[in-house]
Amino acid sequence: MTTTPAAAGVCPFTGRSSALPLDGNPHVPTPALAEFRENGPATPIRFADDHEGLLVTQFGMAQAVLEDPRFTQNPRRFLLGPPEGEVHDVDQQAKDALAVADILSLDGDQHRRIRRSVTARFSVKAARGRREAVRGFVTETLDAFLAGPNPGNVTTDLATPISVRSHCLVLGVPDSHVQLFGDTFAKPTTTQRKFDVIRELLELVRLSPGDNVFSDLIASDLTAAEVEGLAWVLSVSGRDSVAYMISMSVLTLLKHPEQWELLKREPELLPGAIEELVRYNTMFLTVFSRTALEDMEIQGVTIPKGQSVTVSPVGANRDPERFDDPSTFDITRDSAGHLGFSHGPHGCVGQQFARVQITEALTQLLTRVPDLTLIDAEFESPYPLASYLPTYEAPPVNVIW
Amino acid sequence: MKIEIDAAACVGAGQCVLTAEDLFDQDDDGIVLLLNAEPDESRYAAARRSAALCPARAITIHE
Repeated sequence: MTTTPAAAGVCPFTGRSSALPLDGNPHVPTPALAEFRENGPATPIRFADDHEGLLVTQFGMAQAVLEDPRFTQNPRRFLLGPPEGEVHDVDQQAKDALAVADILSLDGDQHRRIRRSVTARFSVKAARGRREAVRGFVTETLDAFLAGPNPGNVTTDLATPISVRSHCLVLGVPDSHVQLFGDTFAKPTTTQRKFDVIRELLELVRLSPGDNVFSDLIASDLTAAEVEGLAWVLSVSGRDSVAYMISMSVLTLLKHPEQWELLKREPELLPGAIEELVRYNTMFLTVFSRTALEDMEIQGVTIPKGQSVTVSPVGANRDPERFDDPSTFDITRDSAGHLGFSHGPHGCVGQQFARVQITEALTQLLTRVPDLTLIDAEFESPYPLASYLPTYEAPPVNVIW
Repeated sequence: MKIEIDAAACVGAGQCVLTAEDLFDQDDDGIVLLLNAEPDESRYAAARRSAALCPARAITIHE
């Protein structure tokens, strides 16, 4: 059986497909995603470079595309246009590093080889081994937060510092350089500046190796360019997503106080609650676009060689075929298997460590600040995008206690 | 039930260990290790769930 992709997203006046609508936020995703999903597994969508790709919003099709080796990550194609020029405005050494080790643009065996140089530090065991340290970071950050102005902003003064310290721990950034790391990677700076800092950090770790990712990279058989490139991608990825998820988790639970109360009474519900928080607050409107390496058919959709196909985790995680009543936030539902950490060979390598950080942050808030109350956060307006990818950016989450 | 793993396909996400620690572990490189290929019936559901949650489809259940 062969069907063509549904016509949703095609403008009835021009016959041209539409661009990705951005009128949503994590709690109320753009209604266009639901329309697309109802009309078929994949929808024509207009890219910034004016080519027409397919946007996947149904869960089953999304999962199938993400795990299918017949897609390549190349060429890089951006729904909303390429990142603002500066990525190319770096020295030759950084260009070489980006070219060989940007793990998100690699395929097959080359990707597997690079990814496996870091998986050891992100296993369940390794993530749990860092739990005590993360707990300490949360305690100290929360102490400072509670000693600071009341009301306070969870996003800037709790979630971000916890994510920076935890990220530094796993990468191997020494305590003396945590502030520099935060200033470089949790604030806007140029790509060249980021590379300069990465080189400084790698040099420090080279002199004093330890139980961390940078040490593993240096000790591996990767080339210098691969080490630098991988250090770059691991420094710019994951940290922001954990901060986002801690902020959005606090926002979501305080907006549903009965579920905050339930978690206080039954903390054993927390692991399941975290899966639901990640599903409900999915950050990635889309992941990186794939391109078909051959003619194929997936779930009845004909995909010719060269076709770009882009998965929307936000769309898939609200698919009623997969999650009953998907727009309802319910910490008691079974949300495991959601695409909040994506799926397939490029699925989030740091997801177990992310779970540990979110768990420790929420556990201490639930026990130490049981009367935490949301006073101000944006729910209604579309959220700004954090990146060209596109991903949502967490708003200020202002609370009192 | 017989569980089969494909360590070459594993991407080290750890979902199997999170789901069924008595059946799966990760080696020093974060790659899947099968601890029990023929679990008791009481663990069939956990084994199936691990296979379903594996992002790399590296776990196959033969029933």
